[in-house]
Amino acid sequence: MPAKPVKIGSLYFKKKGDAAHYLREMLYKYDLGDKVSKDDSTILRDLILMHPECEEKTGSGIESFSVRSADFGTRCFWVNRTDGTTEKFSVGACY
Amino acid sequence: MRIEAYKRKFDDSVLVEATGKWLGVNEFQKEFWTGASSENSWLSASAPTASGKTFLVLQWLLDRLITTDTSVVVYLAPTRALVTEIEASLNDLLADDKTINVTSLPLAEKYLSAAAGVTKTIFVFTQERLHLLANILSDELSVDLLIVDEAHKIGDNQRGVILQDAIERISRSNHKMKAVFVSPSTQNPDELLQDAPIGTDRVSVDSDIPTVLQNVILAQQVPRKPKEWALGLVSGDSSIPIGVLQLANKPAGLRKRLAFIAAAAGARGGTLIYCNGAAEAEEIALLISQLDIREKTDDKELLDLADLARKGVHRSYQLAPLVERGVAFHYGNMPALIRVEIERLFRIGKIRFLACTSTLIEGVNLSCRTIVVRGPRKGRGNPMEPHDFWNLAGRAGRWGNEFQGNIICIDPNDESAWPIGVPKRSRYPIQRETDAVMTSKDGLVEYLDGRDIESLSDLEGAEHYEQVGAYLLDTYLRLGSLANAGLAKRHDSKLLEKLDACLERMARKIDIPAELSIRHPGVSAIGLQRLLDLFKNYEGDVENLLPAPSESVDAYDRYVTVMRRINSSIFPVFLPDGLVPLHALIVVEWLKGLSLAVIIRKRIEYHQRNNKTFKLAVLIRDTMDIVEQTARFKAPKYISAYMDILHMHLLEIKRDDLIDEDFDIGVALEFGVSSTTLLSLMELGLSRMTAVALYEKISKDDLSRDGCVRWITDHAPNFEGMDLPNIIVREVLERVRPPRSLQEQFTD
Repeated sequence: MPAKPVKIGSLYFKKKGDAAHYLREMLYKYDLGDKVSKDDSTILRDLILMHPECEEKTGSGIESFSVRSADFGTRCFWVNRTDGTTEKFSVGACY
Repeated sequence: MRIEAYKRKFDDSVLVEATGKWLGVNEFQKEFWTGASSENSWLSASAPTASGKTFLVLQWLLDRLITTDTSVVVYLAPTRALVTEIEASLNDLLADDKTINVTSLPLAEKYLSAAAGVTKTIFVFTQERLHLLANILSDELSVDLLIVDEAHKIGDNQRGVILQDAIERISRSNHKMKAVFVSPSTQNPDELLQDAPIGTDRVSVDSDIPTVLQNVILAQQVPRKPKEWALGLVSGDSSIPIGVLQLANKPAGLRKRLAFIAAAAGARGGTLIYCNGAAEAEEIALLISQLDIREKTDDKELLDLADLARKGVHRSYQLAPLVERGVAFHYGNMPALIRVEIERLFRIGKIRFLACTSTLIEGVNLSCRTIVVRGPRKGRGNPMEPHDFWNLAGRAGRWGNEFQGNIICIDPNDESAWPIGVPKRSRYPIQRETDAVMTSKDGLVEYLDGRDIESLSDLEGAEHYEQVGAYLLDTYLRLGSLANAGLAKRHDSKLLEKLDACLERMARKIDIPAELSIRHPGVSAIGLQRLLDLFKNYEGDVENLLPAPSESVDAYDRYVTVMRRINSSIFPVFLPDGLVPLHALIVVEWLKGLSLAVIIRKRIEYHQRNNKTFKLAVLIRDTMDIVEQTARFKAPKYISAYMDILHMHLLEIKRDDLIDEDFDIGVALEFGVSSTTLLSLMELGLSRMTAVALYEKISKDDLSRDGCVRWITDHAPNFEGMDLPNIIVREVLERVRPPRSLQEQFTD
């Protein structure tokens, strides 16, 4: 079966693994607690729109993204909403 | 005859000018009083433990404050436990005297009021808190009188350097400051006077006469009879047999041996058992509690303490059931309110056996009738030095009206327990840690040369050299050469030249001003410089460098990162790396103002949620340890340095809009407070445990001190219905003193 390409906004990846690798690099270039840069936020905005529970994740609207810890010593992206609440999301669920 | 009697009375008394009354004193006390009262002098006094030094110093201090224009006094005590004790003693002595303020909080406003002559104030501080106050006031701090209690601790390997630095720092800002040093049985009290400003009189007062009789008793098992222990009273180089102690059970194992002998020999109460560490103290107290056939107590004060232990720590905290049987343990990381109440109930005989640790020789004034000890260690595993042993032994005696005490030493001929035998009476040699490291350690220059190593985790010898190295580098940055410093007179000029050359190489890499690095004693300027370089080279959003307020959702993650930056740039402090998240979590919870009980409960829930096994007693002790050692010691020391360097960077890049001037992370961490209300409650003199318990009942987070007093006055009638432990209610009523009718309602 040919690999399924992934498109996130203007970014194009030949296969899922490439997208996962790109996003993982992005995740780990930050320190825990950091807010994500403007450029990366644009990509994450496009990405979260592809999340099956997009509406629940974005809630009142997206203010910014952060890198924070997740369960068992791992880390993930969090969406910071305009109402001050915050929610983690899995990039893998988006494509 | 009458004239002779009067003469003797005058010879043995000093005049307390404030009251016009004569105070009966012994020769040492008289010398101290006269010497300390002379103008323009620095005095160093040494006398055996439990000879009434502290009481005398406090009496003299108050007399001095009342009768002279002295208005800013700093009383330095080496531990928070002793700070609490001294603060309470001063408050008791002052009773309702409102002209003198006593505080243990480093608050600018209290200093400014004292400096302006409005109220006289005694600041009772640890050395770290004195630095905090000097930082808050940007070194615009002029102290009239400095008293340093347990001054021999200037030789401690970590905090001794911070103490020396604190003394020098405030003596620089007022050359006319009077200083009084007090230490237990030291060989050379005059050592502390060496750095007195030129033109100051130096008075050394020394006494070696114990005011109570201490009997050293050796306990050895009778051959073939493990339940029989022969006791011998040490007299000169031999011992006189005084009888055989009969144990009720076979003492299998060393802990049982200690516990059973203590229970058999100390049944009259007033018995201290010296244990090597908190875990051992808990175990030995548990063993002793089973040997006494008495029923559970119905004494209200003991029951109140048990209640506080259950509510303030955990419902299964081992202390509670023990206290109900008149037995307790005592260690440094315990919450102050509980520890102080244990000491009080031991003093009045309600707690009969107390298993304690080296916290007691680190400066808690607690006398007893009998001390039972086997193979004492100080800290982690180091055999106790003779002077420390005698500092401990000196606590035996002065129990109630008694003037003699017993020190029972078990297995005196066992070399693993007593490597040098039971130590002979001995006095402390005072030596500053800085001098000790400079004279005896060869690796200092090498360490400093390699201090800027790429990976700080590879740094070797840090435990010996880091503190002293940081002190010397600050001194060099301030003066341009060690030859200009007070220490120069104590060291060989060749060594100084060698160190100067090495420090010069380091200083070339540093553009942090000396005024900034001296704000952080013990934190190396070269480490601070590396952090500044990290900030300068940071390519991300500068806001990412700031920690978040503790209430913020990203606070925990940001503290994890801040701690890791500190580890890699300043010094590897929060170790091992895998535990950084746990330390960050507890720091954030502490800053949020959570109670110890809640912090413990959350850790237990975390373990249960993740199916992790744990031992409750270990988890409780471990949490207390992280609170005391990380949240209240390492984190304020290093995170406040991080913030200072960050502020410097933000100013340089014109982003000072990000600086929150009103929030001092050092103060917030030292006291574990996040809101104005909590800090106000602590300013009223309440312990953190009490302040947090009350704050849980108070809705407003911005109450001033007056606002808190009003809240307490309004709500005191309902305290009973709030399920607050009685000891907490009592502390509130003692410190805040609402109208008398309310107090009576609770004390009846």
